[in-house]
Amino acid sequence: MDLSIMIPELLSALPLTLAITFTAMVAGFVLALIATTFRVRRIPVISQLADLYVSYARSVPVVLQLFVAFYGLPVLVGVFGIEDFVSPTIAAMLGLSLYHGGYLSEVMRPAYLAVERGQHDAADSLGYTFGHKLVRVLAPQAVHIALPGYGNSIIYLIHNVALVMYIGAADVMATAHLVMERDYNQYQFETYLVLAVLYSALCLVAWLIVRSFELRSAKFASSATPARTTLMASV
Amino acid sequence: MFDIDVLLPDFWDILGAVPLTLAMAFAIFILSTIIGSLFAMVEYRRIPVLRELVVAYKVAFKGVPMVVVIFLAYYGLPSTLQFLSSLVGVEYNGHSTPNWVTLIVALTACVAAFQAEVVKGALNSFDTGQSDAAYSLGYRKNQLFRRVMLPQVIVAAIPDLANSFMVIMKALSLGFAIEVVDIFAQSQLTAALNFYYLEAFLVAVVIYMVIAYIVTQIADRLEGALRVRT
Repeated sequence: MDLSIMIPELLSALPLTLAITFTAMVAGFVLALIATTFRVRRIPVISQLADLYVSYARSVPVVLQLFVAFYGLPVLVGVFGIEDFVSPTIAAMLGLSLYHGGYLSEVMRPAYLAVERGQHDAADSLGYTFGHKLVRVLAPQAVHIALPGYGNSIIYLIHNVALVMYIGAADVMATAHLVMERDYNQYQFETYLVLAVLYSALCLVAWLIVRSFELRSAKFASSATPARTTLMASV
Repeated sequence: MFDIDVLLPDFWDILGAVPLTLAMAFAIFILSTIIGSLFAMVEYRRIPVLRELVVAYKVAFKGVPMVVVIFLAYYGLPSTLQFLSSLVGVEYNGHSTPNWVTLIVALTACVAAFQAEVVKGALNSFDTGQSDAAYSLGYRKNQLFRRVMLPQVIVAAIPDLANSFMVIMKALSLGFAIEVVDIFAQSQLTAALNFYYLEAFLVAVVIYMVIAYIVTQIADRLEGALRVRT
């Protein structure tokens, strides 16, 4: 096994992995914002639908979510009469965005609820609109509470991007399989060790970035009790 | 495109894999809780060298995706087992290890790192005033642990333990890569027979969501029944 050949080859597939990660991060964040808004405002039918979506994202394995996206998206697209454009990469982006949005919503909601009741009352008594209250009073405090959970969810997102090879996206894992097969499957254990180091490094970078934000947001910390963040892995 | 008629036969087919999945999940749950509790006790008691080792273990297993751990176990465990058994002089062909054993070992190793965190959180939620009170009443250390601490710590940990059980259920779905048939793998097999992929996967989705609902309900009831009303 020649590491000096294998590592550049694995890294050449990294842009796709990162592209899927970033798409899922951005789209998932937007989805989580929408879902959380519906869940905390208690609008009759829409809130229940948002709850159902979150429980789908949290209680169904990510592999299965990816497969549902991969086989479901063409059907959905067909219903609207659009030509089938679905590639494994697009299905992976969609599936992981849905997963990440649901998971993140479960980080955001406790953070929102953990902001003290008095802060809401104070903002209301000063005549803030809901938007102003959210941006100027609640969000800065909620962000500080939610950041550890957000860091976790990013790490699990990176872990779960490793699963997109099962629906045929050519990410780092799939490239590793190609490399292994070219060597007649002699060095499978070693290749997976290299992958383990690679993913650990990615997670470390993500964690350090979130950590730096956490330190910067500390000035917004209120005396409120921190929200319970889910420490569990998510697969 | 979407055929409703295949949903029911698919459902009965996939339901057949539920008992095995639950059994494996229970095995992993119990093993990982035991190991995780040991880790948490090491950290809670601040035992010098072991503590650093536990932290290193947790960092290692949290940074690596479970798929990679499963594959590492799949390719690494048989030779390791053979080597270990040859050390103690037992003749054992490591490559005859069944795949489900590999999966259970790999997932237990992963989940133990998280269970340690759950148990540690529950231990930290314990109010030290109570241990002072117990000591002043003349309780010994293990009496304190058994009669005061354990009942409260278990109740405090129930929601997280239910959560981790669901994580194990979901993690078992990665076993299809090493040919262990759980709910997800069964849905794939069923779909491969009649080519109705989306239908089989949707049935699996429903089964997973129902199991998650039942597990949370049980955990809520249990917590409500056990929590001491103050």
